[in-house]
Parts: sequence; C-alpha cells; structure tokens
Amino acid sequence: MELHREYRIDRLLLFTVIALTVVGVLMVYSSTALMPIASGRGVASSREGYQFVYLKKHLLTLLVSVFVMFVFYRLSPDNLRRLSYPMLIIAILLLLAVFIPGLGLKINGARRWLRLWPSTFQPGEFAKFAMVLFLSRYLSETEDIRAKLKTFMIPVGIMFLIQGILLMQPDFGGAFTVGILTMAILYIAGSPIKYLAMLFAFITPLLVPLLMEPYRLRRIMVFLDPWKDPYGSGFQLVQSFVALGSGGLFGVGLGSGRQKLNFLPEINTDFIFSLIGEELGFAGVLVVITLFVLFFIRGNVISKRARSNFSFYLSTGLVLMVTVQAIINISVVTGLVPTKGLPLPFISYGGSALLVNYMAAGVLLRLSRSEPERMSIVTREGLVRKRARLKARMLRRKIR
Amino acid sequence: MNKRALFVKTTIFVLFFLVLLRLVDLMLIKHAKLSRIARVQQTKEQEVLVRRGIIYDRKGRELAVNLERPSLYCDPKLIEEPGEFAQKVGGILKLDKRRLVKLLKGERRFAWIARKVSPEVASRIQSLRIEGMGMLPDTKRFYPKGKLAAHLLGFVDIDNKGLEGVERTYEDFLIADGGRVYITRDAKGNILYRGGNFESSGNSIVLTIDEGLQAIVEEEIDRAVRQWQASAATVIMMDPFTGEILALANRPTFDPNRPGRYRASSRRNRAITDLYEPGSTFKLVTATAALEEGVATLNTRFDCSDGYIEVGGKRIRDSHKHGILTLKEIIEKSSNVGAVKVALKLGPGRLYKYVKLYGFGEKTGIDLIGESPGIVKDPSQWSATTIGAMAIGYEVMVTPLQVLRAYAVVANGGYEIRPHVVSKVISPEGLLLKKNRGARGRRIISERTVRQLKVALRAVVSEDGTAPKASIPGNTVAGKTGTTRLVDKRTGRYSYRDFVSSFVGMVPVENPLFVMIVVIWRPERMYYGGEVAAPVFRAIAEKALAYRFIPREDRLKDTFLYVSSDENIMLKRMAVAEK
Repeated sequence: MELHREYRIDRLLLFTVIALTVVGVLMVYSSTALMPIASGRGVASSREGYQFVYLKKHLLTLLVSVFVMFVFYRLSPDNLRRLSYPMLIIAILLLLAVFIPGLGLKINGARRWLRLWPSTFQPGEFAKFAMVLFLSRYLSETEDIRAKLKTFMIPVGIMFLIQGILLMQPDFGGAFTVGILTMAILYIAGSPIKYLAMLFAFITPLLVPLLMEPYRLRRIMVFLDPWKDPYGSGFQLVQSFVALGSGGLFGVGLGSGRQKLNFLPEINTDFIFSLIGEELGFAGVLVVITLFVLFFIRGNVISKRARSNFSFYLSTGLVLMVTVQAIINISVVTGLVPTKGLPLPFISYGGSALLVNYMAAGVLLRLSRSEPERMSIVTREGLVRKRARLKARMLRRKIR
Repeated sequence: MNKRALFVKTTIFVLFFLVLLRLVDLMLIKHAKLSRIARVQQTKEQEVLVRRGIIYDRKGRELAVNLERPSLYCDPKLIEEPGEFAQKVGGILKLDKRRLVKLLKGERRFAWIARKVSPEVASRIQSLRIEGMGMLPDTKRFYPKGKLAAHLLGFVDIDNKGLEGVERTYEDFLIADGGRVYITRDAKGNILYRGGNFESSGNSIVLTIDEGLQAIVEEEIDRAVRQWQASAATVIMMDPFTGEILALANRPTFDPNRPGRYRASSRRNRAITDLYEPGSTFKLVTATAALEEGVATLNTRFDCSDGYIEVGGKRIRDSHKHGILTLKEIIEKSSNVGAVKVALKLGPGRLYKYVKLYGFGEKTGIDLIGESPGIVKDPSQWSATTIGAMAIGYEVMVTPLQVLRAYAVVANGGYEIRPHVVSKVISPEGLLLKKNRGARGRRIISERTVRQLKVALRAVVSEDGTAPKASIPGNTVAGKTGTTRLVDKRTGRYSYRDFVSSFVGMVPVENPLFVMIVVIWRPERMYYGGEVAAPVFRAIAEKALAYRFIPREDRLKDTFLYVSSDENIMLKRMAVAEK
C-alpha cells in the first residue's frame, strides 16, 4: 500500500541543528566562563556572575536567531523568490555601510562589523546567504546558462563585486566562501567547464598580489610549518594542535579543558572545534562531524525532492553554505588549510553567523515540507501507525 | 545536472573523510606527544601547601603534627601604592618597609610577603582588603614534645621539606605528590585556581618508638650527661626479636621546632653516624668465635697472670693481674690479656669471619639518613698488632647501633635482625600502605653458643663482674662493659684523659624485653664503663620494666597469685551482683 501524504518537516535536519546548537551552547559556556578573569586580572576575583557574561549574550543571540528562523520558515518559496533581489541589494549596501565612519566598527584592523545597538552585525555573513538566494532565482529564471557567456558573466560579476568589498574590509575568509559557493552552484547548474576554467585562469593571477600581502603570506608560511615558530606566528595553530591532541579518545572532560586559559586565541569563535576536541575527545569530534554529515545528507534529500529549480538551487546552495564553512573551519583548526577566520556553523560564539545559519535552517525546513508527493518508501513511522490502527480496529471489533 | 551534483556531493564527503583522517592523526596518533606539551605548558609546579603526614609513636601518640600558619603573597603588578602598602602591611607584620617596597619592584607576578604567620596576624591583614594580595593556607611543622626523639624525627625546612631523620627518609610517604602541587596556569602564567588543590595531604607514619620509654631514656641520659660532665652520649633501646627501635636519644640534642638555632654537631644522630672503637664490648665477637669454632669452652682456662701480653711488639695490659681465668671469667672481668690469647688461638681468619658475621663494617640498614658503615680492615691489611687490638675492640670503628645489633643477636637466640624505626605507613584515608615487619633473619650463631654467651654476659653484672651497677634487683641482666681511650687529635696517640664508656645489655636475660646500649663520650672523674654507663643502663631499665609492667622475675609466682586472686574477687563480686 502506498501512503499519499505531504512530506512533514524534516525532523532529522531539525535535530542536527538543535544538537549542534546544544553542543555550541555548552562549548561557548566552557570556553568563555573564565574569560572575564583570564583576560583581566589574574589572581584578583571578579564581580558576581562573571562566568555567564558571554553565555548570556550567546543565548540572547540564539533567541533572536530562532525567531528569525521562524520568520524565514513562514516565508513560502514564492515569497523568497520575490525577496531575493532586494535582499542582494540590501546585502551589498550593508557591506558598503561598514566603511561609513560611525556605523562601521573596526576590530583587529578589519572593518567587518556594523554597530547595531546593543550588539554588532557582520554583513559579510548575510552576504553569503543573499548571494545563494540571488543565484537560485537567477539560475532558475535564466533559460540557457549553458550557451551564453553573458548569462554566466552576470552572477560572476556580482560575485566579484561582493568579493571585492569583502577583500577591502578585509575579509579573505568571507570572500573565499562566497567564491567557492558561487562556483559550486554555477557548476551544478551546468555552466560549461570552459567558462569555469576561464574564470580560474582569470582569478589565479589576481590572487598572487593578494597572497603577497605580508600577513597572509605569514599565515601561509605558518600553515606550512607551524612548529617553526611555536611561540610567535605559529602559536595559534600549535595551540590548536595541542588542544586537539591532548583530548585523545574521550577528552579531558567537559569544562576541564586548559587551552581556553589564554593559550588558544579565538577559542570561543573560530577555534571552538579545538576545544571540543580537547574536552570531549575524538568521540566528541566524531559526533560533531557526524552531525554535519547528517545535515548534509538531509539537505541533499531536501534538494532532491525540490519541486522547482529555485527550490533546488536554494536548498543545495544553503546546504553547501553550512557544510563548506564547517569543512573549512575544521580544516583550519587542524592545519589543513591556512587560517581564514571562519566560524563553525551553529557552534561558534558570534551572532551574525549564527543568525544567518539559522536563516538557512529556516528556509531548508520550509523547503523540506512544502511539497505534497507520493511517498515511495514505506517509512518505519508509517508502519508503526498502520499497525496501531489495525490493532485499534480489532480491539473495537472484539468489544462489539 | 545530476552528475555534477553527485560530483560535488562526493567531493564534500571526501573532504569530510580527509578532515577525519587528519583528526585521527592529531588526536589519537600524536596524542601522547601533544598532551605532554599541554601538560608542560598548562601546569606550574609550585611547592605551596604541604600537609605532611602526622608522625605517631607506636601507641598512636603524636610526635610531629602540622599547625595552620597561612602564608601571605602578592602580585607586585597589582599593588598600586607600594609605599602605602608597605606602611600598612609592614606595620602589622613588623617587616622592614624598604625591603617590602623593593620586593614589589621587578617583573615577577608572585612574591612571598611573609611565610607562616599566625592566624591572628593573617586575619588582620585580610581585613585590610588589599587588591593584589592573597593568602595561601600553609602549615608549619610542629613537634609538640619538643626535643623528645629529636634525632629520630628529624626536621623540615620552610617549605616543609624533610631534612633529617624520619622526616627525610620517609619524605616520599609523608608528602604525597612528592611535595609539589601542580597548579593550572594560563598562558600568561597566572594561577587561575585557588583553594582546594593547593593542598596535598601526606601519609602518616607510626614509629616503633614508645614515647614513654623514650621519655625515660631522655630523662636518664640528661642526668648522666650532667653527672659525668660528658661531651656526648647515646642511648638506644631495641626489641631484639623484631629490630624495632623502642627509644633512641643522643646528647647534645636540639629542638626540631627551631633546628636553625643549634649547631650541626647537636643535630647529628650519633647513634648511627659516630664511629668509635668499641673496646671490651667487642669481646663478644672474640668469645663467639671461640665458642662457635670449638677453640674453647666457657671453662677453658687461659693464663692471664702476667697482666700484660705482647702482640706484634706492643704491650696490651689488664687493669690488674688476674691470674688464670676461664673464658667465662675473661668476659666477666673483661680481661684484655685473656681476650687476646683467645684471639691468637683463633687466628685472624676466624676472628674476622665473626666480625663480619655480626655485621660490623656494614650499614645495619636502619631507615634513617646518614648511617655510617664503620671501618673494619680486611685481614690482608692487618698489621702484626691488629689481631690483638681487634680482640679487645680496637683498630675497628663501629657505631653504637652496630654494637647493639650484635648483642641483639645474642638476646634473640642467634638470629640476624634489621633495626628500624618505622612500623607502619598509613594513608590519609586510613589504609595501611607499608608495614615494616620485623622479620627474623637467618640464624647466625648456634643456640648452644647463645646459651653460653648469655651465661658469660650474666656474670658481668654479678658482684664479681665489671658491672654490678647494671644489675637490677629481681630481674636478670646480661651485658658487657666497654671502656676505650679516645685518640688525642693533637698527638695522634691514645689519650690518657678522654674515654668512651659504654655498657650494652639485655633484660630479662631469657626472652629479653629489650637490648640497650649506653655510650658516654668523655666522662669526667670516672671512666670505667661499669662505673659510668652501667648505672645509666640500670636506671633506664628499672623504669622501663615498671613502665611495661614486667614483673620481677624472682617474685613471678607472687605476682601471678596476686593478679589471679584479684580476678577471683572480681568474679565473685559479679556473681553476687547478678544474684
């Protein structure tokens, strides 16, 4: 017997998001509880409740993010499509707004943030989301991307525009992610390999002067051999290795990590994965990676069931956005690629990325349930229900 | 399109897999190496609060305890007004203000202000609420009985590290974690952890010492040193069957609460470190050799009527002419001539064999620091006079403990034993970690010889012997006196003024409660062991017997009758009460 019913919301995807968020909350608390003391005065005690300062902020962001997720979940694919171009324009404007004195905020020599009372916002994160949304609409409405160079050049041009602004901030990690995402979506959409190859040929010489920038060059040198200067430029990477390595199979225990005591910079944001490794060990790391893989698999299922091309590109793009960032982040902390400055989705402390990832989750959840389709697989759940229904019927008969 | 999506998908999976491989490498394969780096950088070795274990006597009486004496420290960088700080703190602590200000300069983030202050001072300082200043709980070792058993207990330094005695030899037990506390530090070197883990509790130690016996010994050794104006003295009391040291005292002594105020010579445990020529007490070895080797029996006669004998061109004299003496009488009257004649009959090889058999020239293995093995020359290095000298306890250097051990062998029936001062080590949780069982060693001398030696040694204490003053009314005593001349350091010859007087013995002779040696260096007026050391032996032994409720042997029957009749009365009374 075939069941005719709508797809329900993808519970497994929701579960992975919740699970990753829970891990995130735990690890953010673990990594930041001592920060007010550690960064300030060593021996002297701090004011009451200092250990919750960062956790409170994180939970507040989370609350806002869940709200935003719900908002995006309520948006139908049609509405999303309508909103996609305006959102791209807003994203680009926000990116530029960073350079307006007073609005922009400069931290560690980078203008990536907007002052936003009571917090800050990183438009670069939103730009990724907006780019995926734009590409989805553009590609779904373009008749023949395969033939004409012009249809290929428009998204590439917008990609360059966003990347250009990001590099001015500078935010190399963001530009890199936007590039990877755009290329991957264009590739999936069927752009001729010829064009993509040309694009590469064009980009590569442009990269050289960018990479020659002293601090980036140093990062790359460090990446090649962090142990060469473990107390200087290689410090962060070496400390990340030490954190991961001291975790072993089961870790030193939740909350017992030592690397957060000023050893590993950015341990609550970009290097939070190292803390997971230290405190929860290889087992914990395996769980987190499994959750991301699960997220990826469910995302693929959603995109496979997409009713329209727009839904397909959108779900594929958003899944890639989360997954690719996760892979890059873990590759950075394990020294597989040079340091970028990308957070770990759903886990890292840091509002903007969390917010944007929750937007993506909201959209994906919506896309997962929107379509009434014939279910070809008898689900376990369905079988259980059927069995229960039969049982109930028989019981009723007996009573009669 | 589907193909391309599949390619991207596969790529993602491959990347996940690569990342996982890298994690296996970092987290599992390099785990040992990286966690070693982590340990090194994350912990700071600090010797702060060490709660040393308590030292008890054999009956659980505390001989070394800890007092709460907090230590004050500061982070000089956080002190904003060094002058004001020095004014306030220096005033309470009575410290030099300029020195305090100087302490606050420099790049260090940690400096001790005062170690081990009294709780009252600490609370006054704390009420000032100065930022950057802190207090660490600390302890001070305290020896509540003062000088009692000072050489045995030893003492500690300001960081509670054992320097001498049991405090030193059992350092690893008294201090868990080797006395070091590993504190979590952050990358800047700050200590981020306060409270509990600054402590480390050590294991407690139960000594073989009996505080009561020790007190008796201390009292009597003081009296003897005063009476004889002696330069030094040592008394050791030991259970001959187990090797447990029951009491050990030296003079001069020191107060382990203030070791710095005494000279090193006062802190030396002479019982195991100081070498002397044992003199006549060593005749035990000669007699044992003769009896064991069948060279003589107790009744074999030796002609000592000359009053001297020439060995290798040197004359060895008796105090007076004795006439013809049996072996028993040689011991009883401590005839040098007789002992030399016995030794000559034995020859160097057989004499040397018994010197080594009794363990002379080797450490006894007692669990105390600084023991000397003594000096015993190998027969190949002997001069012509050595055989004669060694027979009467010259040309051989021993410690008092070595002599005592030799007599313990006789007392316990001929078995080797190992002296020790610690019987048990007990963990803070009350678990028995180590037990020093006084295991009886192998038999060294035959039972027959032991019986004969005891007869001879008993005669020493008789009216005809050299030490009637060691006898105890009602109890049997066996022992031997020793009187030796000290070498005059200026002339390099034996002195006519400086002597070492000693007496070593056991009581009761059958199944002895203890063996004890009394050594007194440079007594004034008198110098014979029987006059100087034997009365000390008697005084201690009498009190010790009373302390341990050992009944007089001659009234054994009465005592038991008394006890039993008392019990009967009790039983009758109880029976009446029940009715």
